[in-house]
Amino acid sequence: MAIVPGVPPPANEGRAIWERLCADDPTATLDLAAGYLDSLSDWLIRRNPRLHPHDCVTAAEDAILAVAKNPSTYQPELQTLSAYLRISASGDLKNILHSERRHAVRRVDLEAVELSPKLGKYLWDQEADPATVLERDDEESLALAMARALPKGVQEGLNAVDARVLELMGSGERKTAAYAHVLGLDDRPLEVQRREVKRVKDRLKKRLERARDGDG
Amino acid sequence: MDDRIAALARRVQDDPFFLASALKGYARSEGLDERGLAAALSCPIETLVKLALCRRPRPAPPVFREDVDRIATRFGVRADALAEIVRHADALAGMRRGDADERGLLMAARDRDEPTAADATDRQTTDEPR
Repeated sequence: MAIVPGVPPPANEGRAIWERLCADDPTATLDLAAGYLDSLSDWLIRRNPRLHPHDCVTAAEDAILAVAKNPSTYQPELQTLSAYLRISASGDLKNILHSERRHAVRRVDLEAVELSPKLGKYLWDQEADPATVLERDDEESLALAMARALPKGVQEGLNAVDARVLELMGSGERKTAAYAHVLGLDDRPLEVQRREVKRVKDRLKKRLERARDGDG
Repeated sequence: MDDRIAALARRVQDDPFFLASALKGYARSEGLDERGLAAALSCPIETLVKLALCRRPRPAPPVFREDVDRIATRFGVRADALAEIVRHADALAGMRRGDADERGLLMAARDRDEPTAADATDRQTTDEPR
């Protein structure tokens, strides 16, 4: 496998690595890490410029270790390994930020002045506040949860278009045109595109919610 | 291997899923540094990072040898040395678990045998005439 720094392996190579993981090839874990760690870390850092790069690298590591240990969590029919790792790493980054947020809240008792609501506005960049970052991408978290938590039976019920829409949601895509293209609505009026895109995304979100309820 | 891969290899040193844990356990018990460990495996130091991120060979005999051979062939290390390192690390981990179990049993026995201060207080209270 030729590794190009900063570039994830092509989809077919990703699939081959995943198949080796499933087949218990003990060297596949190295190839997974060597193939994806750099590109995944760089992608997270680019996408979250206000966050500390160390957190992004840790999240990328977490996502890679999770697949290395449990390759069956990835469903190759739904998306490429690269796309799955991006979704997973985004979720892991949120977990890291949640954890840091909890630590920050605990520090309030000890550093009440520094972090007090009254003085906080002088000390915090609201946009850089991990809490703000966490809240800004609900759709991605839904897609992540879908990828991780949807029962296999429900996943199998997804058609290729649904899977592609989920992948876009997971990658943080927000442009209606991108979704409209996947849905074959390029030539429809913008209003129709918006309505149809919303309908499909809502349906997928509901599907996830039902799956969660069923699990819980 | 770049810095991130090396950092990941360090991160998984205590994770028994990865070969890194066996390499670390063996090196520590034998007092080896990286150079010594590489010498034991007859490989360049740079290969240690790659080995560290491989999955630890599965312990069951038929697949253990298969896993060891696969890793050894891929990275050009001595299969017999790698097998010995992993078995040695497994034995060390087993002994640590045994020690921990023994300590747990001793503590449990002590809990039963040695009354606490609260027990003594309870007994005094119970023994007082009403």
